[in-house]
Amino acid sequence: MNRRDRALTALDHREPDAVPIWELGIDPPHAESITGKQWIGTSKETNLDRRGIERHNADIMVECHNKLDFVMIRAISSDPDGWRPQRFPDGTFTDEWGRIRMYDPRTKSTIPFRTLIKTPEDFEAMAFPDAHAPGRMYGLEYVVKRVKGDMAVAAEVRAPFATAWEMLGVTGFCQILHEKPQFIRKVIEKMTDFNIELIKMVVDAGADMIVSNGDIAEKNGPMVSPKYFDQIFLPNMKREVEAAHKKGVKFIKHTDGDLNLILEGLANTVDGLHSLDPSASMDIEYVKEKYGKRLVLMGNVSVDKLCRGTKDEIVKDTKRCIRVAAPGGGYFLNSSNTWYADAKLENCMAMVETGRKFGKYPIKL
Amino acid sequence: MKSQSALENVERGIVDLVTSEELKARVKKALDAKADPIDVIGSIRKALDEVGERYEKKEYFLMELIVAGNLATEIMNILRPYFKADMQAPRGRVVIGTVQGDLHDIGKNLVAAMLTSLGYTVTDLGVDVKPEKFVEVVRNEKPQVVAMSGLLTVGLPYMKTTIDALKTAGLKDKVKTIVGGRPLTKEYAKEIGADAYGTDATEAVRIIGGWVESKEAKKR
Repeated sequence: MNRRDRALTALDHREPDAVPIWELGIDPPHAESITGKQWIGTSKETNLDRRGIERHNADIMVECHNKLDFVMIRAISSDPDGWRPQRFPDGTFTDEWGRIRMYDPRTKSTIPFRTLIKTPEDFEAMAFPDAHAPGRMYGLEYVVKRVKGDMAVAAEVRAPFATAWEMLGVTGFCQILHEKPQFIRKVIEKMTDFNIELIKMVVDAGADMIVSNGDIAEKNGPMVSPKYFDQIFLPNMKREVEAAHKKGVKFIKHTDGDLNLILEGLANTVDGLHSLDPSASMDIEYVKEKYGKRLVLMGNVSVDKLCRGTKDEIVKDTKRCIRVAAPGGGYFLNSSNTWYADAKLENCMAMVETGRKFGKYPIKL
Repeated sequence: MKSQSALENVERGIVDLVTSEELKARVKKALDAKADPIDVIGSIRKALDEVGERYEKKEYFLMELIVAGNLATEIMNILRPYFKADMQAPRGRVVIGTVQGDLHDIGKNLVAAMLTSLGYTVTDLGVDVKPEKFVEVVRNEKPQVVAMSGLLTVGLPYMKTTIDALKTAGLKDKVKTIVGGRPLTKEYAKEIGADAYGTDATEAVRIIGGWVESKEAKKR
């Protein structure tokens, strides 16, 4: 059974030869440590063009995943050919959704920081991205070619909730949702239409699974009330799931936070949940028992412990996750978020080693 | 009595998240009924306390916290002209920032917005704030409280560095320090010498309020 088969078997709620291990994200500094190669964070560091940088970094990530023997790699769609961000004197720049991003040299990645889209009028006036723009599949196709069917490819499609939240700013999004929920509904529907096109394209390009990234909850609960979640966001998520199913792939929702108040609705909609953060009251044993036949579960190894815990704690946490969630299949071992730059690599490796040692089926823990 | 009922309407307006126009009309009604503007601020505080409690009980969510904070801020802006003299002696001064090494600001912004809406003077230093910047601003602005936020573990040592820098500058005993953010624990906050740890925005605001009120009480 190769790594891709292991992933697909687990996605199909069957027991593979061993618990599949992966991470939705590995921050570049860890990938550098694992491969010994240097990630390119900005164009200032290289003579390569934008596509060259994408290929270079994808090569590092594929090599990193190969060294870790992970079963699946995340791949994202690219900015289209010819896309030029608006750049500001402080080094920040825009993305296609009007978010202003800041480069973080420590993690060698960018984070949305501010936004150009502050009002419904700004949204109406913006040039809405075209899913079919030439070059959109560049990075994903490159990754698919590099892994050659050995590893599964999880195509990340950013959740409309998160894109809208970031695009309008947290305060703006909440205020507009409160005052003009119909406008937010329209934004979400439009972004969902975009995602549906993207889902078709990424599967045609070779993706094995869709992972909807972007948080919908924080440690106290969903970011918006279950009422809004059920009325506006969940129906649109269902449209994305249907699009994925039409193309024959599973749709997994990633989110941080405490999902317990909206778990039933999610379980009736998506095929799986990533990353089940124990520090936000997500009890994987409970979720497995109640929804394990319907939902593929990914994660629950405490990311906080990866950052601040000891190796022994990680071993214990990993064994717990395997013991309660792996029997019967439908479980992927990964952290309860990603391998942050500030996670201790020795702890991350302890999770992987423990997974290899105790993750062989039948589980004997 | 008339003004009391109008004040209660202001309080309910924030808790029930009425529209900005509706809340402004309620505030106007209270002021027309000769309510003391200081009592309107009291209504805002009570309302935000209740919103915070509902959030903790999971009856309200992040969205409601933010909307209530926005409403309160709007009303504070309306009331500002009534407090020309008091503005020189605001409820309390807080310096807040995301510590060095960290660019995340959602939690920090939420705390800053809630404090502002409660009538505090908040100096928001932004993200990736170096310890020396905290020291400089504390020295110049003489706040009662320094609030430090961080989402990433890498930022945590800088919380300690900042607290140590305040000590070295002889300022630590003149301010209260509070830290907050996902990777923190109460024990860690204690270990680095912070006076308190806020598990979430509402708790941080409550702790800061407790400090400032007790300082005010001492002055009296």
